[in-house]
Amino acid sequence: MVKDTTNTVKKKRKTANADAESEHVDLYKKVCEFEEKEAQNRNADADTTLFFNICQQIQDLLEQVRELKQTPGDEHLSERIACLTEIVVKVCLIKKLNRIDKLAHVTDREVLNTEKQKCDSIKLTYQNLVYELHHLVTETNKCLSFKSEDEDIELVPFEDFMQDAPASVTEKFKDFNPNNPEDEHALRLARLEWELTQRVNLAEECKALEEKKKKVVEEITERKEKLNDLLPLLNMVIKATKPLQEHLGMSSDLTRKEHKLANLLPDPLYVLYANVVAYKSVFETNLNVVILGDKDEAIQFNEAEEVSHSSNINDDDSEPESDLPEVEEIVEVKKRRHRKSVQQVDPLEEKKKKLLEVHPLSVELSVTENDGPTLNIIFKYYTKIKIITVNSNVDISSKITANTAREILSGHNILSELIANDTGLESPNPSTVYQLKKLGIGSYQKLIPDVGYAYSWAQSVCGIDFLASKKCCDKLSQQNVENILGIIKKRLNTRTHLAKQLQQLEQNILPAIPEDVEIPRNAVSSLIKWASTTYMEFCLSDFTKNLVDENIVGPSDLFYFAKISRGKAELHAFIVLKNTYPIPPPIFALSLNYKNKYNSTNCDDIRDLERTLNVDWDFGERSSSWLLSAQLTHLCSYLDVYLESTYPKEFQPNTKFIRSISGRNKKKPFKFRNIGTGIFTQY
Amino acid sequence: MTKMNKEFYNTILTQTISPCGNYLITGDLYGNLSIFNLLKVLNPETNLTKEELIPKTKITVKADYQINSLVNTPGHLLVGVYGEIYAYTWKSIKGSNRNLHASWSIPIPDGQEELSKAEVNSLIFDKESGILYAACVLNGHGDYIHSIAKNGNNDLLSGGEDGVVNIWDLGSNRVVEKIEPYLNSEMQRTNLGKWIGAVDCNEDYILCGGGPRLSLFHYRFLTHSTVFPIDDGGIHVAHLNDDKVYVGGRCKLFYQASLNGNIISEIPTSGASTYSMVKQEEPFRVMCLAGSSSKIDISTNFIYKDQQLSLY
Repeated sequence: MVKDTTNTVKKKRKTANADAESEHVDLYKKVCEFEEKEAQNRNADADTTLFFNICQQIQDLLEQVRELKQTPGDEHLSERIACLTEIVVKVCLIKKLNRIDKLAHVTDREVLNTEKQKCDSIKLTYQNLVYELHHLVTETNKCLSFKSEDEDIELVPFEDFMQDAPASVTEKFKDFNPNNPEDEHALRLARLEWELTQRVNLAEECKALEEKKKKVVEEITERKEKLNDLLPLLNMVIKATKPLQEHLGMSSDLTRKEHKLANLLPDPLYVLYANVVAYKSVFETNLNVVILGDKDEAIQFNEAEEVSHSSNINDDDSEPESDLPEVEEIVEVKKRRHRKSVQQVDPLEEKKKKLLEVHPLSVELSVTENDGPTLNIIFKYYTKIKIITVNSNVDISSKITANTAREILSGHNILSELIANDTGLESPNPSTVYQLKKLGIGSYQKLIPDVGYAYSWAQSVCGIDFLASKKCCDKLSQQNVENILGIIKKRLNTRTHLAKQLQQLEQNILPAIPEDVEIPRNAVSSLIKWASTTYMEFCLSDFTKNLVDENIVGPSDLFYFAKISRGKAELHAFIVLKNTYPIPPPIFALSLNYKNKYNSTNCDDIRDLERTLNVDWDFGERSSSWLLSAQLTHLCSYLDVYLESTYPKEFQPNTKFIRSISGRNKKKPFKFRNIGTGIFTQY
Repeated sequence: MTKMNKEFYNTILTQTISPCGNYLITGDLYGNLSIFNLLKVLNPETNLTKEELIPKTKITVKADYQINSLVNTPGHLLVGVYGEIYAYTWKSIKGSNRNLHASWSIPIPDGQEELSKAEVNSLIFDKESGILYAACVLNGHGDYIHSIAKNGNNDLLSGGEDGVVNIWDLGSNRVVEKIEPYLNSEMQRTNLGKWIGAVDCNEDYILCGGGPRLSLFHYRFLTHSTVFPIDDGGIHVAHLNDDKVYVGGRCKLFYQASLNGNIISEIPTSGASTYSMVKQEEPFRVMCLAGSSSKIDISTNFIYKDQQLSLY
């Protein structure tokens, strides 16, 4: 085997030598190239086995050498040398193998590198692609998740849009198909555009309005400032005018204080006060209105009222319920009455007190008749029963001394029946009846001495209308104040006239009557007594039954008794004055005492006399200063006529009449005609 | 109020019932005729309301001149007032027109001045001859006449303020006989005067009264047969009918009496005096009493008061 290898190596060398001989210069190069080619073509595995074989052979040879050395003598030198040579050759072989191997290695490495490079570039492209993919995926996701902002905008409803938008815009959508997305989009765009234009318009409008508002606010602040500036100025003016006012004796301070007090008045009284002050300022000078009562007390009362009112709101609803236990309480009280009778009075009494709670402030109205009496009317407000009550008094001038005259001016009846049937004896509030019943008080009338009269007109001047739900109506009051004050003035006027007449009548003088009134002026019969009397006495009299039965007179009227005499004949007369004197005129009820008692129930002549006295007066309001006197004067003359015509022998003729009797009813001439000195006729 | 008072003092001086018998007409102090529907009042369908008891209509003949007498003729209602007689047709009265005017009127040919004209205190209409007799002032009397009555075809009786009852012969228009009750001591009442307030008669008797007591005279002999025991202050109404005497005046009762002086019934009246009584048997029985009151008392059995009408 070794031979073979050596042979090949030799051969190689020989060839190489041959080349080197031909090409001296590039021998090395050629060798290198050759070796490179060899290396390329050789099988590495075969070389490896060759290498190991050579190594083995070297080892074997070295073993031989060692054994030869160990054998003494020189006989084996040649052999040893041969072996050594062999070894060297073999080493050369290895060297060659090594070189080839190395070369092969280099080329392999180069191949590897190129392959590696290829691999890298492929990987790079791959990575690029992956990246691109990823990017695209995210982009698509982004696209998918896109949301347009317009979806959040609230649009005008489709129908409104079709109606309001200009025709050019809406025309396309007349036959709009909601399934067609393109149409829908177009519609949406159109609607959005419409919305936009509208919003722009609105925004402009808003802007304009806001500017306006700003301006107004500025104006307001400006004016406020001006007003604020005005206050100190006004105060200064007031201060400055004070000396002048003092000089002129004006009491503006007082009225101002009162006006301040007016704010504390309960609503109805305030309305009254305000309207009367207004009325006074326009019409009257002899009218005075003041507020009575303590300011602090009023403030306290109002506060308490407010507190109780706010808690009352709840109470109102539950009132019917709360009524029940109260009833039970009363029952209990009754049960307990057996044991303690003294304590029982208190709760009812207290409830009564509570019900009759009165506002601490009251309004006083004073009306003065020219150089005559002053009528003071005090209005109070009962907060629980919600009515206005009236107390009145009259300052009578010292000139009027007669009892009947003072009576007629001072009595409550001066204010009674200002309006028909308004006697003030019953509460105008329908609920009062029940409230009083609950407390065991029979009627309002019993309370009058403590509380005062509850005239309907008083409620109306204070604006209270129990039928209307509204609490206090200024308009109602306004309408009534003028009206009622007018009536009060007139009433006071007629009462003054009456008082003047009564003053004289009580002294048995028939008051003088104006010249232009037609009356008989030369009566012989004369007034001998004049006194006031009562409804009771009137009723008890035997000749007044018809008048009472017919309700022509009532307990609220004024009653007087008079006696007229001529010789032995004496005429008794009840005179009934209505509160509304002189309309209707005073009513006379007569009874003649002469030989017998004659009156309207048993004698037609007396009845006829009564009739002429009571019926034939139609002079209206203006007659108030003389009507009563005129009636009495007539009565005296008629008595003369009656006596002279009925008993011509017993009474000297003084009156003139054409016929003493006439007609089937034997009518007496009870009609005065102002002819000559006066003549009496039947017709 | 004033209006009310006025009616309160009203006096009804005369009444009459319409020829048909259904309506009552009254004449009062203020010159008003008031017409009531008697038929309705006496045969009420339901309970009578106050409205049905007041006049259906009112006619003012002459305001404030009292109506003294009323009389029926077949066609007209004649109203005797003060110096004048007015006539209204029944047709217009039964209608509802309030502003009615008289269809004609006769002024009393008296020649007196305005203030002392004669009143027509009594009216009689003779159906057969168609002559109207009006009681005013006759030459045979010294004062005005209160009442007249007719007997047969020839005689007319008149009672006057002067206290004389004259019997006139209608043929010659002269007074043939006269009675003067005030001279009789049984009848006279000096405190009341001599006037004769009412006269009535039939073939046999004359009934008269006034200041003197109500008394019955024999027609032929002119002697008194009965003086009625009635407590009154003067007679204004006296009727002689079917042998019964109906009498009223200045007293609170209206009497029915027999010819011999027995009182058959007493009806209390509303007023102090009675000035008028009318009654009828057909078509329904009714008697109406009126006087110095605005109320009219109605009786259907002539014995007690059934119903009361009112002028207001």
